Amino acid sequence: MNMLKILALVKTELRKILREPAFLFMMILFPAALTLVFGLTFGTMETGIPGVSQFDNMAPGLFAYACIFIIMIVAQTFTDYREQGLLKRINLTPTTSAEFMSSHIISNTILSIIQVAIVAVCSLLIGFRPYGTIIGFLLAFIFMILLSICSVGFGLICSTIAKNAGTATALSFIFILPQMFFGTFIPLNEATKVIAYFLPSYYATESLSLIFLDGVAITNLTIWFNLGIISILAIVIVVIGIALFKRYGK
Amino acid sequence: MKVNEKAIKKSMVFGNNDLAISIQNLVKNYDDVKAINNLNLEIKTGELFSLLGPNGAGKTTTISILSGLLKPTQGNAFVGGYDILKELNSIKELIGVCPQEAAIFKFLTGKENLELFGYLNGMSKGKIKARIDYLLEMLEFEKDSKRKVKGYSGGMLRKLNILIALIHDPQIAFLDEPTVGMDPRARRKVWDFIRSLKEQNKTIILTTHYMEEAETLSDRVGIIDYGELIAIGTPKELVERFEVKNLEEVFLEITGRRIVEGI
Repeated sequence: MNMLKILALVKTELRKILREPAFLFMMILFPAALTLVFGLTFGTMETGIPGVSQFDNMAPGLFAYACIFIIMIVAQTFTDYREQGLLKRINLTPTTSAEFMSSHIISNTILSIIQVAIVAVCSLLIGFRPYGTIIGFLLAFIFMILLSICSVGFGLICSTIAKNAGTATALSFIFILPQMFFGTFIPLNEATKVIAYFLPSYYATESLSLIFLDGVAITNLTIWFNLGIISILAIVIVVIGIALFKRYGK
Repeated sequence: MKVNEKAIKKSMVFGNNDLAISIQNLVKNYDDVKAINNLNLEIKTGELFSLLGPNGAGKTTTISILSGLLKPTQGNAFVGGYDILKELNSIKELIGVCPQEAAIFKFLTGKENLELFGYLNGMSKGKIKARIDYLLEMLEFEKDSKRKVKGYSGGMLRKLNILIALIHDPQIAFLDEPTVGMDPRARRKVWDFIRSLKEQNKTIILTTHYMEEAETLSDRVGIIDYGELIAIGTPKELVERFEVKNLEEVFLEITGRRIVEGI
Protein backbone atom coordinates (compact mmCIF):
# COMPACT_ATOMS: atom_id res chain seq x y z
CA MET A 1 0.00 0.00 0.00
CA ASN A 2 1.31 3.42 -1.02
CA MET A 3 0.75 5.83 1.88
CA LEU A 4 1.20 8.91 -0.35
CA LYS A 5 -1.76 7.82 -2.46
CA ILE A 6 -3.92 7.17 0.60
CA LEU A 7 -2.98 10.51 2.17
CA ALA A 8 -3.72 12.38 -1.06
CA LEU A 9 -7.19 10.79 -1.22
CA VAL A 10 -7.87 11.47 2.47
CA LYS A 11 -6.88 15.11 1.98
CA THR A 12 -9.25 15.34 -1.00
CA GLU A 13 -12.18 13.99 1.02
CA LEU A 14 -11.54 16.40 3.88
CA ARG A 15 -11.28 19.30 1.43
CA LYS A 16 -14.66 18.30 0.01
CA ILE A 17 -16.31 18.59 3.43
CA LEU A 18 -14.74 21.98 4.07
CA ARG A 19 -15.61 23.37 0.63
CA GLU A 20 -19.10 21.98 0.01
CA PRO A 21 -21.70 23.83 2.13
CA ALA A 22 -24.13 20.88 2.10
CA PHE A 23 -21.52 18.47 3.45
CA LEU A 24 -20.25 21.04 5.93
CA PHE A 25 -23.79 21.45 7.26
CA MET A 26 -24.39 17.73 7.50
CA MET A 27 -21.07 17.02 9.16
CA ILE A 28 -20.64 19.95 11.54
CA LEU A 29 -23.83 21.92 12.06
CA PHE A 30 -26.28 19.01 12.06
CA PRO A 31 -24.77 17.09 15.03
CA ALA A 32 -24.35 20.35 16.93
CA ALA A 33 -27.95 21.40 16.26
CA LEU A 34 -29.27 17.93 17.11
CA THR A 35 -27.42 17.87 20.43
CA LEU A 36 -28.59 21.36 21.34
CA VAL A 37 -32.22 20.57 20.47
CA PHE A 38 -32.16 17.38 22.55
CA GLY A 39 -30.27 19.11 25.33
CA LEU A 40 -32.62 22.07 25.58
CA THR A 41 -35.70 19.80 25.37
CA PHE A 42 -34.66 17.00 27.71
CA GLY A 43 -31.95 18.66 29.81
CA THR A 44 -34.44 19.74 32.47
CA MET A 45 -36.53 16.56 32.52
CA GLU A 46 -35.84 14.45 35.59
CA THR A 47 -35.34 10.69 35.48
CA GLY A 48 -36.11 10.04 39.10
CA ILE A 49 -32.43 9.70 39.87
CA PRO A 50 -31.17 12.85 41.58
CA GLY A 51 -28.90 14.93 39.36
CA VAL A 52 -29.54 12.80 36.23
CA SER A 53 -31.65 14.32 33.46
CA GLN A 54 -33.28 12.59 30.49
CA PHE A 55 -30.62 14.20 28.32
CA ASP A 56 -27.87 12.48 30.31
CA ASN A 57 -29.42 9.15 29.33
CA MET A 58 -29.63 10.21 25.70
CA ALA A 59 -26.09 11.55 25.31
CA PRO A 60 -24.40 8.18 24.54
CA GLY A 61 -26.99 7.61 21.81
CA LEU A 62 -26.21 11.03 20.34
CA PHE A 63 -22.55 10.05 20.04
CA ALA A 64 -23.68 7.00 18.08
CA TYR A 65 -25.96 9.22 15.92
CA ALA A 66 -22.92 11.18 14.76
CA CYS A 67 -21.26 7.98 13.55
CA ILE A 68 -24.46 6.60 11.97
CA PHE A 69 -24.87 9.62 9.68
CA ILE A 70 -21.59 8.74 7.96
CA ILE A 71 -23.72 6.21 6.00
CA MET A 72 -25.38 9.05 4.10
CA ILE A 73 -22.10 10.83 3.38
CA VAL A 74 -20.44 7.67 2.01
CA ALA A 75 -23.49 6.68 -0.06
CA GLN A 76 -23.72 10.16 -1.61
CA THR A 77 -19.98 10.45 -2.20
CA PHE A 78 -19.61 7.15 -4.03
CA THR A 79 -22.69 7.56 -6.23
CA ASP A 80 -21.65 11.12 -6.98
CA TYR A 81 -18.13 10.04 -7.95
CA ARG A 82 -19.54 7.26 -10.09
CA GLU A 83 -21.95 9.63 -11.87
CA GLN A 84 -19.12 12.08 -12.57
CA GLY A 85 -16.84 9.36 -13.96
CA LEU A 86 -14.32 9.89 -11.15
CA LEU A 87 -14.29 6.25 -10.03
CA LYS A 88 -13.45 5.20 -13.60
CA ARG A 89 -10.72 7.79 -13.76
CA ILE A 90 -9.17 6.64 -10.49
CA ASN A 91 -9.49 3.08 -11.77
CA LEU A 92 -7.30 4.07 -14.74
CA THR A 93 -4.40 4.85 -12.39
CA PRO A 94 -2.28 2.18 -10.67
CA THR A 95 -4.19 2.84 -7.43
CA THR A 96 -5.48 -0.39 -5.89
CA SER A 97 -8.97 -0.93 -4.48
CA ALA A 98 -7.39 -1.50 -1.05
CA GLU A 99 -5.69 1.94 -1.19
CA PHE A 100 -8.89 3.64 -2.34
CA MET A 101 -11.13 1.96 0.24
CA SER A 102 -8.58 2.53 3.04
CA SER A 103 -8.56 6.24 2.25
CA HIS A 104 -12.35 6.38 2.61
CA ILE A 105 -12.33 4.45 5.87
CA ILE A 106 -9.65 6.80 7.24
CA SER A 107 -11.27 10.03 6.04
CA ASN A 108 -14.72 9.03 7.31
CA THR A 109 -13.30 7.94 10.65
CA ILE A 110 -11.65 11.37 10.96
CA LEU A 111 -15.01 12.97 10.16
CA SER A 112 -16.70 10.83 12.81
CA ILE A 113 -14.12 11.88 15.36
CA ILE A 114 -14.80 15.52 14.54
CA GLN A 115 -18.55 14.95 14.80
CA VAL A 116 -18.23 13.09 18.09
CA ALA A 117 -16.06 15.93 19.42
CA ILE A 118 -18.75 18.44 18.42
CA VAL A 119 -21.47 16.38 20.13
CA ALA A 120 -19.22 16.02 23.19
CA VAL A 121 -18.55 19.76 23.47
CA CYS A 122 -22.23 20.64 23.00
CA SER A 123 -23.29 17.98 25.51
CA LEU A 124 -20.81 19.20 28.10
CA LEU A 125 -21.98 22.78 27.58
CA ILE A 126 -25.57 21.70 28.22
CA GLY A 127 -24.58 19.96 31.43
CA PHE A 128 -23.77 16.35 30.57
CA ARG A 129 -21.24 15.08 33.10
CA PRO A 130 -20.02 11.59 32.17
CA TYR A 131 -18.30 9.18 34.52
CA GLY A 132 -15.30 7.32 33.29
CA THR A 133 -11.57 7.11 33.37
CA ILE A 134 -9.09 7.99 30.62
CA ILE A 135 -9.01 4.33 29.59
CA GLY A 136 -12.79 4.26 29.61
CA PHE A 137 -12.88 7.27 27.27
CA LEU A 138 -10.34 5.59 25.01
CA LEU A 139 -12.48 2.49 24.87
CA ALA A 140 -15.54 4.62 24.07
CA PHE A 141 -13.50 6.21 21.29
CA ILE A 142 -12.69 2.77 19.83
CA PHE A 143 -16.41 1.88 19.86
CA MET A 144 -17.17 5.03 17.89
CA ILE A 145 -14.43 4.32 15.36
CA LEU A 146 -15.78 0.79 14.86
CA LEU A 147 -19.32 2.12 14.46
CA SER A 148 -18.02 4.56 11.84
CA ILE A 149 -16.36 1.70 9.95
CA CYS A 150 -19.71 -0.15 9.97
CA SER A 151 -21.28 3.02 8.54
CA VAL A 152 -18.73 3.14 5.70
CA GLY A 153 -19.73 -0.45 4.82
CA PHE A 154 -23.45 0.38 4.91
CA GLY A 155 -22.77 3.46 2.76
CA LEU A 156 -21.00 1.33 0.17
CA ILE A 157 -23.95 -1.07 0.06
CA CYS A 158 -26.32 1.89 -0.54
CA SER A 159 -24.17 3.31 -3.32
CA THR A 160 -24.00 -0.11 -4.98
CA ILE A 161 -27.79 -0.26 -5.23
CA ALA A 162 -28.48 3.44 -5.91
CA LYS A 163 -28.28 4.82 -9.42
CA ASN A 164 -27.77 8.44 -8.35
CA ALA A 165 -26.93 10.55 -5.31
CA GLY A 166 -30.62 11.34 -4.58
CA THR A 167 -31.57 7.67 -4.45
CA ALA A 168 -28.46 6.96 -2.37
CA THR A 169 -29.63 9.46 0.26
CA ALA A 170 -33.08 7.86 0.42
CA LEU A 171 -31.61 4.36 0.57
CA SER A 172 -29.20 5.30 3.33
CA PHE A 173 -32.20 5.79 5.63
CA ILE A 174 -32.88 2.05 5.40
CA PHE A 175 -29.72 1.65 7.48
CA ILE A 176 -29.92 4.92 9.44
CA LEU A 177 -33.48 4.77 10.81
CA PRO A 178 -33.42 1.27 12.38
CA GLN A 179 -30.12 2.11 14.03
CA MET A 180 -31.53 5.41 15.33
CA PHE A 181 -34.75 3.92 16.66
CA PHE A 182 -33.68 0.47 17.80
CA GLY A 183 -30.00 0.98 18.49
CA THR A 184 -29.66 4.14 20.53
CA PHE A 185 -31.67 5.65 23.40
CA ILE A 186 -35.26 4.86 22.48
CA PRO A 187 -36.68 2.26 24.93
CA LEU A 188 -36.98 -1.22 23.40
CA ASN A 189 -39.62 -3.90 23.89
CA GLU A 190 -38.97 -7.61 23.45
CA ALA A 191 -39.64 -7.56 19.69
CA THR A 192 -37.54 -4.50 18.89
CA LYS A 193 -34.74 -5.79 21.09
CA VAL A 194 -34.40 -8.78 18.73
CA ILE A 195 -33.89 -6.36 15.83
CA ALA A 196 -31.44 -4.32 17.90
CA TYR A 197 -29.17 -7.35 18.36
CA PHE A 198 -28.37 -7.16 14.63
CA LEU A 199 -27.50 -3.44 14.72
CA PRO A 200 -23.97 -2.23 15.45
CA SER A 201 -25.26 0.98 17.06
CA TYR A 202 -26.95 -1.07 19.81
CA TYR A 203 -23.62 -2.51 21.00
CA ALA A 204 -21.88 0.87 20.76
CA THR A 205 -24.60 2.75 22.65
CA GLU A 206 -24.91 0.10 25.37
CA SER A 207 -21.17 0.23 25.97
CA LEU A 208 -21.03 4.04 25.92
CA SER A 209 -23.89 4.12 28.44
CA LEU A 210 -22.05 1.67 30.69
CA ILE A 211 -18.86 3.74 30.51
CA PHE A 212 -20.34 7.25 30.68
CA LEU A 213 -23.51 6.80 32.76
CA ASP A 214 -22.80 3.84 35.03
CA GLY A 215 -19.06 4.43 35.27
CA VAL A 216 -18.36 0.69 35.11
CA ALA A 217 -14.77 -0.52 35.22
CA ILE A 218 -13.20 -1.42 31.90
CA THR A 219 -12.97 -5.00 33.10
CA ASN A 220 -16.75 -5.23 32.67
CA LEU A 221 -17.47 -8.32 30.55
CA THR A 222 -20.42 -6.77 28.68
CA ILE A 223 -18.13 -4.05 27.30
CA TRP A 224 -15.61 -6.57 26.00
CA PHE A 225 -18.36 -8.81 24.60
CA ASN A 226 -19.83 -5.77 22.80
CA LEU A 227 -16.38 -4.80 21.52
CA GLY A 228 -15.96 -8.28 20.05
CA ILE A 229 -19.39 -8.22 18.40
CA ILE A 230 -19.02 -4.73 16.92
CA SER A 231 -15.51 -5.57 15.65
CA ILE A 232 -16.87 -8.65 13.84
CA LEU A 233 -19.80 -6.63 12.49
CA ALA A 234 -17.42 -3.89 11.25
CA ILE A 235 -15.27 -6.41 9.36
CA VAL A 236 -18.25 -8.30 7.92
CA ILE A 237 -20.17 -5.16 6.84
CA VAL A 238 -17.11 -3.49 5.26
CA VAL A 239 -16.10 -6.68 3.43
CA ILE A 240 -19.67 -7.12 2.12
CA GLY A 241 -19.80 -3.42 1.17
CA ILE A 242 -16.48 -3.52 -0.69
CA ALA A 243 -17.28 -6.83 -2.41
CA LEU A 244 -20.70 -5.64 -3.58
CA PHE A 245 -19.36 -2.27 -4.70
CA LYS A 246 -16.46 -3.83 -6.62
CA ARG A 247 -18.78 -6.37 -8.27
CA TYR A 248 -21.83 -4.23 -9.07
CA GLY A 249 -21.18 -0.65 -8.01
CA LYS A 250 -18.50 0.53 -10.42
CA MET B 1 12.27 4.79 -16.13
CA LYS B 2 12.11 1.43 -14.38
CA VAL B 3 8.66 0.85 -15.84
CA ASN B 4 9.77 1.74 -19.34
CA GLU B 5 12.64 -0.70 -19.16
CA LYS B 6 10.22 -3.36 -17.97
CA ALA B 7 7.90 -2.59 -20.89
CA ILE B 8 10.69 -2.66 -23.45
CA LYS B 9 11.85 -6.02 -22.12
CA LYS B 10 8.34 -7.35 -22.32
CA SER B 11 7.92 -6.14 -25.92
CA MET B 12 11.12 -7.86 -26.91
CA VAL B 13 9.84 -11.12 -25.49
CA PHE B 14 6.86 -10.75 -27.81
CA GLY B 15 9.20 -10.04 -30.68
CA ASN B 16 7.51 -6.70 -31.51
CA ASN B 17 9.89 -4.25 -29.95
CA ASP B 18 8.53 -1.32 -31.98
CA LEU B 19 4.88 -2.07 -31.28
CA ALA B 20 3.10 -0.01 -28.64
CA ILE B 21 -0.29 -1.62 -29.23
CA SER B 22 -1.34 -4.86 -30.82
CA ILE B 23 -5.04 -5.70 -31.10
CA GLN B 24 -5.91 -9.24 -32.13
CA ASN B 25 -9.40 -10.38 -33.24
CA LEU B 26 -11.04 -8.16 -30.66
CA VAL B 27 -14.80 -8.52 -30.14
CA LYS B 28 -17.03 -6.69 -27.69
CA ASN B 29 -20.74 -7.41 -27.49
CA TYR B 30 -23.34 -5.51 -25.48
CA ASP B 31 -26.23 -8.00 -25.41
CA ASP B 32 -27.10 -8.35 -29.12
CA VAL B 33 -25.11 -5.32 -30.26
CA LYS B 34 -21.61 -5.87 -31.61
CA ALA B 35 -19.70 -2.79 -30.48
CA ILE B 36 -16.36 -4.17 -31.70
CA ASN B 37 -16.37 -6.74 -34.46
CA ASN B 38 -13.15 -8.69 -34.95
CA LEU B 39 -10.81 -5.71 -34.76
CA ASN B 40 -7.16 -6.20 -35.68
CA LEU B 41 -4.76 -3.29 -35.40
CA GLU B 42 -1.11 -2.57 -34.70
CA ILE B 43 0.24 0.81 -33.59
CA LYS B 44 3.97 1.50 -33.50
CA THR B 45 5.86 3.12 -30.65
CA GLY B 46 6.05 6.88 -31.19
CA GLU B 47 3.17 6.85 -33.67
CA LEU B 48 0.25 9.25 -33.55
CA PHE B 49 -2.70 7.16 -34.62
CA SER B 50 -6.17 8.66 -35.04
CA LEU B 51 -9.22 6.48 -34.70
CA LEU B 52 -12.11 8.04 -36.59
CA GLY B 53 -15.70 7.00 -36.95
CA PRO B 54 -19.30 8.11 -36.56
CA ASN B 55 -20.93 8.27 -33.12
CA GLY B 56 -21.31 4.78 -31.68
CA ALA B 57 -18.76 3.29 -34.09
CA GLY B 58 -16.74 1.67 -31.29
CA LYS B 59 -13.88 4.16 -30.79
CA THR B 60 -14.43 4.76 -27.07
CA THR B 61 -15.16 1.05 -26.49
CA THR B 62 -11.79 0.22 -28.07
CA ILE B 63 -10.00 2.70 -25.80
CA SER B 64 -11.92 1.42 -22.76
CA ILE B 65 -10.81 -2.15 -23.50
CA LEU B 66 -7.18 -1.15 -24.08
CA SER B 67 -7.11 0.80 -20.81
CA GLY B 68 -8.74 -1.98 -18.81
CA LEU B 69 -12.09 -0.37 -18.11
CA LEU B 70 -13.92 -3.01 -20.16
CA LYS B 71 -13.24 -6.67 -20.73
CA PRO B 72 -13.42 -7.93 -24.32
CA THR B 73 -15.94 -10.62 -25.24
CA GLN B 74 -13.34 -12.33 -27.42
CA GLY B 75 -9.84 -11.73 -28.67
CA ASN B 76 -6.96 -10.02 -26.95
CA ALA B 77 -4.72 -6.97 -27.06
CA PHE B 78 -1.25 -6.02 -25.87
CA VAL B 79 -0.34 -2.56 -24.64
CA GLY B 80 3.39 -1.90 -24.32
CA GLY B 81 3.79 -5.65 -24.68
CA TYR B 82 1.53 -6.36 -21.72
CA ASP B 83 -1.53 -8.58 -21.99
CA ILE B 84 -4.74 -6.62 -21.22
CA LEU B 85 -6.32 -9.73 -19.75
CA LYS B 86 -3.48 -10.62 -17.38
CA GLU B 87 -1.18 -7.65 -16.83
CA LEU B 88 -3.46 -4.70 -16.32
CA ASN B 89 -1.48 -3.25 -13.42
CA SER B 90 1.65 -2.94 -15.57
CA ILE B 91 -0.42 -1.37 -18.35
CA LYS B 92 -1.83 1.25 -15.96
CA GLU B 93 1.72 2.40 -15.20
CA LEU B 94 2.37 2.98 -18.90
CA ILE B 95 -0.78 4.71 -20.06
CA GLY B 96 -2.54 8.03 -19.64
CA VAL B 97 -6.20 8.30 -20.58
CA CYS B 98 -8.07 11.48 -21.36
CA PRO B 99 -11.74 10.43 -21.24
CA GLN B 100 -14.40 11.95 -23.46
CA GLU B 101 -16.28 13.37 -20.45
CA ALA B 102 -14.08 15.54 -18.25
CA ALA B 103 -13.96 13.55 -15.00
CA ILE B 104 -12.51 16.03 -12.51
CA PHE B 105 -12.99 16.81 -8.81
CA LYS B 106 -14.98 20.03 -9.01
CA PHE B 107 -14.39 21.17 -5.42
CA LEU B 108 -10.61 21.15 -5.97
CA THR B 109 -8.57 23.68 -7.91
CA GLY B 110 -6.99 22.65 -11.20
CA LYS B 111 -3.60 22.36 -9.54
CA GLU B 112 -4.96 20.28 -6.67
CA ASN B 113 -6.50 17.89 -9.20
CA LEU B 114 -3.13 17.55 -10.93
CA GLU B 115 -1.39 16.92 -7.60
CA LEU B 116 -3.93 14.28 -6.61
CA PHE B 117 -3.61 12.36 -9.87
CA GLY B 118 0.16 12.70 -9.69
CA TYR B 119 0.12 10.89 -6.34
CA LEU B 120 -2.40 8.32 -7.61
CA ASN B 121 0.01 7.55 -10.44
CA GLY B 122 2.75 6.89 -7.90
CA MET B 123 4.79 10.09 -8.41
CA SER B 124 6.85 11.76 -5.68
CA LYS B 125 6.09 15.29 -4.41
CA GLY B 126 9.13 16.79 -6.15
CA LYS B 127 8.37 15.18 -9.50
CA ILE B 128 4.74 16.26 -9.30
CA LYS B 129 5.68 19.89 -8.73
CA ALA B 130 8.16 19.98 -11.61
CA ARG B 131 5.74 18.23 -13.96
CA ILE B 132 2.84 20.53 -13.03
CA ASP B 133 4.97 23.62 -13.69
CA TYR B 134 5.92 22.23 -17.11
CA LEU B 135 2.39 21.22 -18.10
CA LEU B 136 0.77 24.46 -16.96
CA GLU B 137 3.24 26.47 -18.96
CA MET B 138 2.78 24.30 -22.05
CA LEU B 139 -0.98 24.87 -22.13
CA GLU B 140 -0.85 28.43 -20.68
CA PHE B 141 -2.92 27.30 -17.74
CA GLU B 142 -0.99 28.71 -14.74
CA LYS B 143 -3.53 31.37 -13.78
CA ASP B 144 -6.64 29.23 -14.20
CA SER B 145 -5.10 26.31 -12.33
CA LYS B 146 -5.34 28.24 -9.06
CA ARG B 147 -9.13 28.51 -9.33
CA LYS B 148 -11.67 25.94 -8.23
CA VAL B 149 -12.82 23.74 -11.11
CA LYS B 150 -16.48 24.51 -10.30
CA GLY B 151 -16.12 27.87 -12.07
CA TYR B 152 -14.34 26.58 -15.18
CA SER B 153 -15.63 27.01 -18.72
CA GLY B 154 -16.00 23.97 -20.99
CA GLY B 155 -12.68 24.75 -22.69
CA MET B 156 -10.83 25.02 -19.38
CA LEU B 157 -12.28 21.69 -18.24
CA ARG B 158 -11.04 20.11 -21.46
CA LYS B 159 -7.54 21.48 -20.97
CA LEU B 160 -7.38 20.20 -17.40
CA ASN B 161 -8.78 16.85 -18.55
CA ILE B 162 -5.81 16.49 -20.92
CA LEU B 163 -3.28 17.62 -18.31
CA ILE B 164 -4.53 15.09 -15.74
CA ALA B 165 -4.14 12.31 -18.31
CA LEU B 166 -0.53 13.32 -18.91
CA ILE B 167 0.56 14.31 -15.39
CA HIS B 168 2.73 11.18 -14.97
CA ASP B 169 4.39 11.55 -18.38
CA PRO B 170 2.94 8.29 -19.76
CA GLN B 171 4.55 6.42 -22.64
CA ILE B 172 1.19 5.78 -24.29
CA ALA B 173 -1.62 8.36 -24.27
CA PHE B 174 -5.25 7.72 -25.19
CA LEU B 175 -6.92 11.02 -26.02
CA ASP B 176 -10.66 10.55 -26.55
CA GLU B 177 -11.99 13.64 -28.34
CA PRO B 178 -9.71 15.94 -26.34
CA THR B 179 -10.52 19.23 -28.07
CA VAL B 180 -14.34 19.10 -28.17
CA GLY B 181 -15.77 22.45 -27.10
CA MET B 182 -12.48 24.34 -27.32
CA ASP B 183 -12.13 27.63 -29.15
CA PRO B 184 -9.82 27.59 -32.21
CA ARG B 185 -6.93 29.23 -30.32
CA ALA B 186 -7.06 26.74 -27.46
CA ARG B 187 -7.37 23.89 -29.94
CA ARG B 188 -4.21 25.03 -31.78
CA LYS B 189 -2.42 25.19 -28.44
CA VAL B 190 -3.43 21.61 -27.69
CA TRP B 191 -2.29 20.53 -31.17
CA ASP B 192 1.14 22.06 -30.49
CA PHE B 193 1.21 20.22 -27.19
CA ILE B 194 0.30 16.91 -28.85
CA ARG B 195 3.05 17.50 -31.42
CA SER B 196 5.53 18.06 -28.59
CA LEU B 197 4.53 14.68 -27.11
CA LYS B 198 5.21 13.06 -30.45
CA GLU B 199 8.65 14.65 -30.51
CA GLN B 200 9.29 12.91 -27.17
CA ASN B 201 8.53 9.57 -28.91
CA LYS B 202 5.26 9.09 -27.04
CA THR B 203 2.61 6.90 -28.64
CA ILE B 204 -0.70 8.72 -29.00
CA ILE B 205 -4.07 7.26 -29.85
CA LEU B 206 -6.46 10.04 -30.69
CA THR B 207 -10.17 9.91 -31.40
CA THR B 208 -11.76 12.98 -32.90
CA HIS B 209 -14.66 14.20 -35.00
CA TYR B 210 -12.53 17.04 -36.34
CA MET B 211 -11.09 15.73 -39.60
CA GLU B 212 -8.73 18.70 -39.87
CA GLU B 213 -7.28 17.72 -36.48
CA ALA B 214 -6.72 14.14 -37.57
CA GLU B 215 -5.26 15.19 -40.92
CA THR B 216 -2.88 17.71 -39.35
CA LEU B 217 -1.61 15.59 -36.47
CA SER B 218 -1.76 11.94 -37.44
CA ASP B 219 0.89 9.64 -38.82
CA ARG B 220 -1.85 7.16 -39.64
CA VAL B 221 -5.61 7.13 -39.48
CA GLY B 222 -8.02 4.25 -38.95
CA ILE B 223 -11.70 4.62 -39.79
CA ILE B 224 -13.98 2.42 -37.75
CA ASP B 225 -17.68 1.84 -38.22
CA TYR B 226 -20.04 -0.66 -36.59
CA GLY B 227 -17.00 -1.91 -34.68
CA GLU B 228 -15.07 -2.83 -37.83
CA LEU B 229 -11.92 -1.20 -39.13
CA ILE B 230 -12.93 -0.23 -42.66
CA ALA B 231 -9.96 1.87 -43.78
CA ILE B 232 -6.43 2.46 -42.58
CA GLY B 233 -3.44 4.42 -43.84
CA THR B 234 -1.73 7.79 -43.74
CA PRO B 235 -4.09 10.71 -44.39
CA LYS B 236 -2.38 11.21 -47.76
CA GLU B 237 -2.74 7.56 -48.74
CA LEU B 238 -6.45 7.57 -47.89
CA VAL B 239 -7.10 10.77 -49.83
CA GLU B 240 -5.32 9.31 -52.89
CA ARG B 241 -7.01 5.91 -52.57
CA PHE B 242 -10.51 7.39 -52.54
CA GLU B 243 -9.63 10.12 -55.06
CA VAL B 244 -11.07 12.93 -52.97
CA LYS B 245 -9.79 16.29 -51.72
CA ASN B 246 -9.34 15.68 -48.02
CA LEU B 247 -9.86 13.33 -45.08
CA GLU B 248 -13.35 14.65 -44.38
CA GLU B 249 -14.43 13.54 -47.84
CA VAL B 250 -12.81 10.14 -47.27
CA PHE B 251 -14.77 9.81 -44.04
CA LEU B 252 -18.06 10.83 -45.66
CA GLU B 253 -17.42 8.60 -48.65
CA ILE B 254 -16.77 5.48 -46.58
CA THR B 255 -19.24 5.88 -43.74
CA GLY B 256 -21.94 7.38 -46.02
CA ARG B 257 -21.65 4.48 -48.45
CA ARG B 258 -22.09 2.00 -45.62
CA ILE B 259 -25.25 3.78 -44.50
CA VAL B 260 -26.65 3.71 -48.04
CA GLU B 261 -25.74 0.03 -48.42
CA GLY B 262 -27.32 -0.70 -45.03
CA ILE B 263 -24.23 -2.36 -43.60
